[in-house]
Amino acid sequence: MMDCSEYRRSVLADPHDANPELALHRNSCGDCREYTGRLLRFEGRLERARRVSAPAAGDARRAPRSVRGVRIPSGVLRARRGWLAAAASVLVVLAVAGSLWLAATPPSLASAVVAHVADEPQAWSGGDAPVASPELAQVLRGAHMRLGADAGMVSYAQSCLFRGRHVPHLVVQTSRGPVTVMVLVHESVSKAVPFDEDGYRGIILPSPGHGSLAVLLRGQDVGASAIKQIAERVQGAIEWTG
Amino acid sequence: MKDDVGGNPKRARFQALCQALRPDLLRFAFWLSRDRALAEDVVQETMLRAWKAQDSLLDEAAAKPWFLTIIRREYARCFERKRLVTVDVDELIAREEPMLGAAQDQDIAELRAALFKLPEEYREPLVLQVLMGYSTAEIAAELKLSNAAVLTRLFRGRKQLRLMCGEDAALDPEE
Repeated sequence: MMDCSEYRRSVLADPHDANPELALHRNSCGDCREYTGRLLRFEGRLERARRVSAPAAGDARRAPRSVRGVRIPSGVLRARRGWLAAAASVLVVLAVAGSLWLAATPPSLASAVVAHVADEPQAWSGGDAPVASPELAQVLRGAHMRLGADAGMVSYAQSCLFRGRHVPHLVVQTSRGPVTVMVLVHESVSKAVPFDEDGYRGIILPSPGHGSLAVLLRGQDVGASAIKQIAERVQGAIEWTG
Repeated sequence: MKDDVGGNPKRARFQALCQALRPDLLRFAFWLSRDRALAEDVVQETMLRAWKAQDSLLDEAAAKPWFLTIIRREYARCFERKRLVTVDVDELIAREEPMLGAAQDQDIAELRAALFKLPEEYREPLVLQVLMGYSTAEIAAELKLSNAAVLTRLFRGRKQLRLMCGEDAALDPEE
């Protein structure tokens, strides 16, 4: 049986570790449950902190390469220039490289979904028990919907403020692991929008007459077609009531 | 099938891949190097190298780890060419203010500063885990460490970070 010290060492190394032994200990130890709650709040701040802005391509506001007391290597730039000068395929490479830095802005709706999910890391860790039916129904009521059992076990359900509207934010347990579902009844997309950003992979599907549905997973283990299948299964389990 | 990027589907695919991954790659390079200009240089050089070596990328689903490996190598090359002698982290933080952005709350600003101060051996696995969503096994493969060593570094890194941020670490376990 795992003790508190071992449990805390494990969750400090990986707060989202889905090891069942950790869940077992957490469920049986109030102190460690409280400790985990505090750690996950810290993790939420950490996830927000790492989201520094990625400057747009060609952004000229570059920091100086040297300041007093700090030595920054300039070899990278020199090497690039040298390589470019020597490369026989310079025109092709420059054309590609130049275009790489253009239009790097990710889809704004997908980015907003990712940012929102990253701000609620605790949602992923509640996989042991289903959300009580009345609580789930209350979250879904605002979106005028019900969710059938085919979607999978719902382990997290909150009504979250997203771009000015409260929307259902769910975590559904699937054979591929926990999947976040956001029902964006006020956000329309004309076609399926796959995305891969900040360690999250997902897809936004149009829901004709009911905005759109965002489905996403953490990590890189699941391919785009599998994500689409999961999203379509969840979408098929939705019953609109209004 | 033709595309609108010079009529070259291969180039178009590669460009789309780079566009999708660039924000994450740049953030990773930034947290690794703690220097925005250097991060941009490293990412640009990475993409040039990736373009040259794109035939070795057999599965586009594996593109992100493939790019990250090139970034790490490219970053290491910087130090082979010219090793950093001294780094004043407070000055680094002040200099990187535009990239770090005006944090909406003081907590986040402090946490970013603490991340900057974390030793590289702890910062890198933590960034791979938190920023890139890597599992312990994936971090171990990327850093050529054992799973146990990665877990130890993550544990120590997070513990140091919490202490630097003034978190109540009294209940954190000893090693």
